[in-house]
Amino acid sequence: MKYFCKLDGEECEFAIERHGDRLMARRGDRTFQLDLSLIGDGAAFSLLVDGRSYDVMADVQGEKVALQMVGERFQVHVEDERERAAHAVVGQKGGGKQELRAAMPGIVVAVKVAVGDQVAEGQTLVVLEAMKMQNPLAAEAAGKVTRVLCKQGEAVANGALLLELE
Amino acid sequence: MPLFQRILVANRGEIALRVIRTAQEMGIETVAVYSDADRNALHVRRASHAVHIGGSKPAESYLDIGKIIAAARSAGADAIHPGYGFLSENEDFSQACLDHKIEFLGPPPAAILAMGDKVEARKIAQKAGVPLVPGLQEDVDEPRLKAAALQVGYPVMLKAAAGGGGKGIRIVRDESQLLEAFHMARAEAKGAFGDDRVYLEKFVTRPRHVEIQVLADKHGNVVSYGERECSVQRRHQKLVEESPCAALTPAIRKAMGDAACQLARAVGYVGAGTVEFLFSGGRFYFLEMNTRLQVEHPVTEMRFGVDLVREQIRIGAGEKLAPVPEPRGHAIEVRVNAEDPENYFPSLGLITRLSLPGGPGVRLDSALFRGLEVTPFYDSMLAKLVVWGEDRAQAIARCQRALRELRIVGVATSLPVALRTLASDEFQGGDYDTGILERIPKKAAASRRELAMLAAAAARFLVQERAGARSAEATAAASITPRWGLLGRAERLRRTGR
Repeated sequence: MKYFCKLDGEECEFAIERHGDRLMARRGDRTFQLDLSLIGDGAAFSLLVDGRSYDVMADVQGEKVALQMVGERFQVHVEDERERAAHAVVGQKGGGKQELRAAMPGIVVAVKVAVGDQVAEGQTLVVLEAMKMQNPLAAEAAGKVTRVLCKQGEAVANGALLLELE
Repeated sequence: MPLFQRILVANRGEIALRVIRTAQEMGIETVAVYSDADRNALHVRRASHAVHIGGSKPAESYLDIGKIIAAARSAGADAIHPGYGFLSENEDFSQACLDHKIEFLGPPPAAILAMGDKVEARKIAQKAGVPLVPGLQEDVDEPRLKAAALQVGYPVMLKAAAGGGGKGIRIVRDESQLLEAFHMARAEAKGAFGDDRVYLEKFVTRPRHVEIQVLADKHGNVVSYGERECSVQRRHQKLVEESPCAALTPAIRKAMGDAACQLARAVGYVGAGTVEFLFSGGRFYFLEMNTRLQVEHPVTEMRFGVDLVREQIRIGAGEKLAPVPEPRGHAIEVRVNAEDPENYFPSLGLITRLSLPGGPGVRLDSALFRGLEVTPFYDSMLAKLVVWGEDRAQAIARCQRALRELRIVGVATSLPVALRTLASDEFQGGDYDTGILERIPKKAAASRRELAMLAAAAARFLVQERAGARSAEATAAASITPRWGLLGRAERLRRTGR
């Protein structure tokens, strides 16, 4: 699976696959051998990268991953290839119109905007739960919400129209 | 016989706990006071007695002299330790203790009053032969302003007489900015302190902030416990302190210590106090005297092997000062604040996870615990990490090691900034000044950012893999016994849902 990671406006792409107990990550022509072990309830990891050990505190909330490691605190946005393809469908523009569609079948857990709201690019509009993961669906571009076609708690099909913006 | 029967600690957080620890070791009972927000705080849980004194806003509790005196009387306290902040430098509080025959573990009201007024403090310092930054000692007015600035020489600084905490301060580079800066400083001083007196002094370029710890007993003895270098600061909020200061020669160190003791004698000081100096170009200038125990006092404790709170209690009981031990090695303190490392805004929230450092030469003063709610009511400092090493290089390495061990989850902290500071060439070289934090990188190094993105991708991979396995399991269960399977899945969702 490919992952597109964003940190402070900078983007990195990693391809990760499992090889038995280990994970193999590739970035360009470089490869990394990973051994990632969950500690307790999963908010902490022991990560070995090519044998180098890192003690990591992590909070994975859908595409948002908060980390504490090497004395730093990071907020990384991680999108897998499936999500990236789905997000590309979102916000196809036609005559200044934006549509927000469900990237996968799921339950709407939050509608963060109402008709008439001005939204900024990247702002979360709807949170969709699918496969027990919370997926924030964000505005592709700045605009104004013209229609809200879903409500909290509603089950939606893949590709269902959730919001319209202009 | 203990020196006191029961000490009330008129404070909260790590300093209240700090005082309680020493009192316990001395066989003295302790009374904690607490606001609504602090019912579960560690100082309440660790003290032998606790009294609720009011609402969460400081003015309704920790700043209310009447409530604290009443608590002391009802709990039978025979001494009060004010900690730092809150009422620690309030002469009315010191006086109220005197009036109620409760020992105030700090200086007498007159000394607090004299050092609290910055213009008055400068006059006393000058009389005591303590060097001042060239400038006027009195408040300046508009007609004398231009001539005064010219006499001192640009750049000059305008400061509120009643000031502190960086408010009412203006730096003026040339005459064209003078008048406007003067009016702004006055307005700011009026707004912040209700007193618009402003004084003018020379602006010292690339200064270091070096302070001297003093102790004075009730028998007229005054000693100094060396210096602390506190130049790593932002808007007068210190982040890293160390001792000794790499820039001082033995002769200057002695001269500074002597000057601090002279000033303490001149105001009839009793207890622990700190005289702050600016140090620049081999010369030092009096800045102000803080008439309380400082946040960074553990730096001195680690280097001298002394317990300053114990000394405060002994002094309060009328005992004579102990001889000053020979200092050894190097000590560094890092303050860990709940704040966004990029914009320094306070970060509020619940501490959900905590991992504390250990090992040789490491001391952590904090009132942190898992489940602590960081509220907007109080100071954002969560912990002080203090280390001791044989020399400066060892102390820095140890401090970095311990800081990497410290993990606080739930709020953003200043830890990354502190680590980047300790790793910088400027800090490691020892030749730095109060501007150092502006020159520390704002972001983690590129290799670390890549590593973080890799770790984040791997963490997501693992989470998705587990969710996939669970969902496959649920689907399999549903296909056999649809109703029970669905119920089971719903139950699992409830249990693991965030």
